[in-house]
Amino acid sequence: MRSTGKTEVNGALAAPPGVARRRLRVRGTSITLLSQMREQAERDLGFRVDYELLDFVECQRRAALEPEAYDVYEHCFQNLDIVWFWGALQPIDTQRIVEWDSMSDLTKTGGVSKYAWRGHGDAPVGKLYIQPGGFLGDRPGRQIAMLPTVHNVDSFGFDPRVFGTGEAPRTPSWAWLLDPRAKGRIALVDEPAIGLFDAALAAEATGELSFADIGNMTIAEIDALMALLEDRRRQGYFCGSWRNGEDAARLLHEGRVAVQSMWSPVYGDLGPMTGLFAEAAPAEGYRAWHGGASLSRHAAGAELDMAYEYLNWWLAGRAGAIMARQGYYISTPERARTQMTPEEWAYWYEGAPAACDLPGPSGQIVVRAGARRAGGAYRERLSRIAVWNTVMEEYNYAVRVWDRFIQRVNAGAP
Amino acid sequence: MIRTANPLAQEPRYELITQVLRENIAEGRLPPGLVLLEGPIAALMQTSRAPVQSALRRLQAEGLIHRFEGRGFLVGPPGAEVAPLRRDIRDFALEIPAAVDDALQVRGTWRHVYDQVEEEVATCQVFGEYRIVETELADYLGVSRTVVRDVLARLQERGLIQKNPSSHWIAGPLTARTLREKFELRAIVEPAALRLAAPHIRYAAVEAIRNRIGADPDLTWEALEDALMDECIAQAPNTTLVEMIRNNRLLLSAVNRALTGLGLPPDDIALDQYRTLFHLIARHPIDSAAEYLRDHLHIMARKNLARMKIVAVISETRKLAPYLTPQ
Repeated sequence: MRSTGKTEVNGALAAPPGVARRRLRVRGTSITLLSQMREQAERDLGFRVDYELLDFVECQRRAALEPEAYDVYEHCFQNLDIVWFWGALQPIDTQRIVEWDSMSDLTKTGGVSKYAWRGHGDAPVGKLYIQPGGFLGDRPGRQIAMLPTVHNVDSFGFDPRVFGTGEAPRTPSWAWLLDPRAKGRIALVDEPAIGLFDAALAAEATGELSFADIGNMTIAEIDALMALLEDRRRQGYFCGSWRNGEDAARLLHEGRVAVQSMWSPVYGDLGPMTGLFAEAAPAEGYRAWHGGASLSRHAAGAELDMAYEYLNWWLAGRAGAIMARQGYYISTPERARTQMTPEEWAYWYEGAPAACDLPGPSGQIVVRAGARRAGGAYRERLSRIAVWNTVMEEYNYAVRVWDRFIQRVNAGAP
Repeated sequence: MIRTANPLAQEPRYELITQVLRENIAEGRLPPGLVLLEGPIAALMQTSRAPVQSALRRLQAEGLIHRFEGRGFLVGPPGAEVAPLRRDIRDFALEIPAAVDDALQVRGTWRHVYDQVEEEVATCQVFGEYRIVETELADYLGVSRTVVRDVLARLQERGLIQKNPSSHWIAGPLTARTLREKFELRAIVEPAALRLAAPHIRYAAVEAIRNRIGADPDLTWEALEDALMDECIAQAPNTTLVEMIRNNRLLLSAVNRALTGLGLPPDDIALDQYRTLFHLIARHPIDSAAEYLRDHLHIMARKNLARMKIVAVISETRKLAPYLTPQ
């Protein structure tokens, strides 16, 4: 039986006073744990939803080590390599997912079209299905490790006054993240499965390094990349690093950066840099990521049923619409479309100029009439993936050298 | 300069053990038909089982002892119709020359501290590259530098440390590549050794361990790996091959112990594979077991690579032994 949970919702609301309300515990990151999401979920589902918001690295660590502390875990596919293999999660039965058959091809088969380049690194389909022996892979089966939800392609943002638009605008290149014109005003995202690739794309774009497989670097390649970054750091290229959107926005508000790694929602919060900081559609392509929701190994009984209701809610439309307003795509776009205005849909998914001012998740205007999304429509942007956020084979090594580098950046060490 | 006065301390242990057993057989202290088992002899000599195994194989080659239906060897030349005499070897007045005993003891000194150091050195590599300073290790352990050198030599032999160009002892970093290469080598040589070993495999022991899978909750993944090695692969009549396989496995098992010690979850799925493997070895043509072993090792390689990734969530702040200096 498929559980949409509508009858149970009514039952819960009718519970007599004094009986504890049912509660679902969700652990995740700022990508998806917005107060608007929680409020909407509680309204639609009729039970309490508790959010525990953590930064990427801490979220992954505690999800692996404390699976008893949450029922649903929201993060990105790349970190299944950590959390799944710690044994912290349980399989999701796709027969209990109402929209499973209508989900987009990107996650279920690996690309937006049969001919689209898949990108280096680990495409989410490679971590989707549970395979014999407890591995994850792309061979379809009934059980999955994470329900694919939001996704996007990321790049960096830049100050056009520094990099020049004017008469002959140049196509932005990842090389700008290491450009002398921005020396002292460059910041990177501090997450080794993400920021390391921004830096690697930059190092390849400047021509200084070349990776045999940028999605699975060797120790020698990681060392070469870190040596290059350390050299730039000593020359004073980097002004800082950030771990969440708020910190990225703060660097912009303080006027400290001319170019930095960026996440989509931050473009709605540029403060004094509004109009002075542009999203790049890099010549080399994007760094892509795919988020999702998983079930804790410990979820059972009523909690497990609530968790499935919540997963189904994710794909039913309203969640996808809220996510779209901060620039994220959903795996069931047609359902989200029913909850968006035609102007919103045209701007966020079709790459059309905004017909009017558009609100973000909180209702505040984040897009001005006439603006166009960098990179264009959904298919256009998703067809240009250079690399996926990836937990590489040598991840453990990469994390430790990356952390030491970031500590030096943040300490402003000589 | 501190140097041990006993020249025998430089001899390989299996040589010393062979010598002791050979003389005791020759002088009749160990009677014909007595069942010789690795474990009790190792305990008596205060050594590991590996050198005892080598010693017994040498004595077999010399025709002083021979194999029979059961576990172990019988004293006496092959073909001698003697009934197996199962008694504790300590019941016989075995003579161990003082010099040999002393030599084994000297070697024993480093053994007392070795396991601890190995664990600390294997663990630190997970976090990166570390230098080991001889004098600091000696102070930490409260032993002489001679003993420290024995320990370091053993660590080097096991592939846990190496000397860098400036002659410093370096541990780590432990990489996915190292693990992948070790498993590739295993998948090449171990199925071949298993085929060679077929006529000599200790089938009763294989059946016994197979029956414990699922029934004995204390049975570890490591015990199964050891059984595969000791009861099956190590029986191959090619000592060079067996030695190479043993050495290749040393780092892998040290790393596995270190990772488990850091709190990584156990792998329950692997148990089923060992059950199938031991079943094939015990009941079916050896080719099927060899093919299954090759497959099993590919899967174990993937599992170990996955384990190397998840270590990343364990923070470096845990206290490492003071003689390890991050590089």
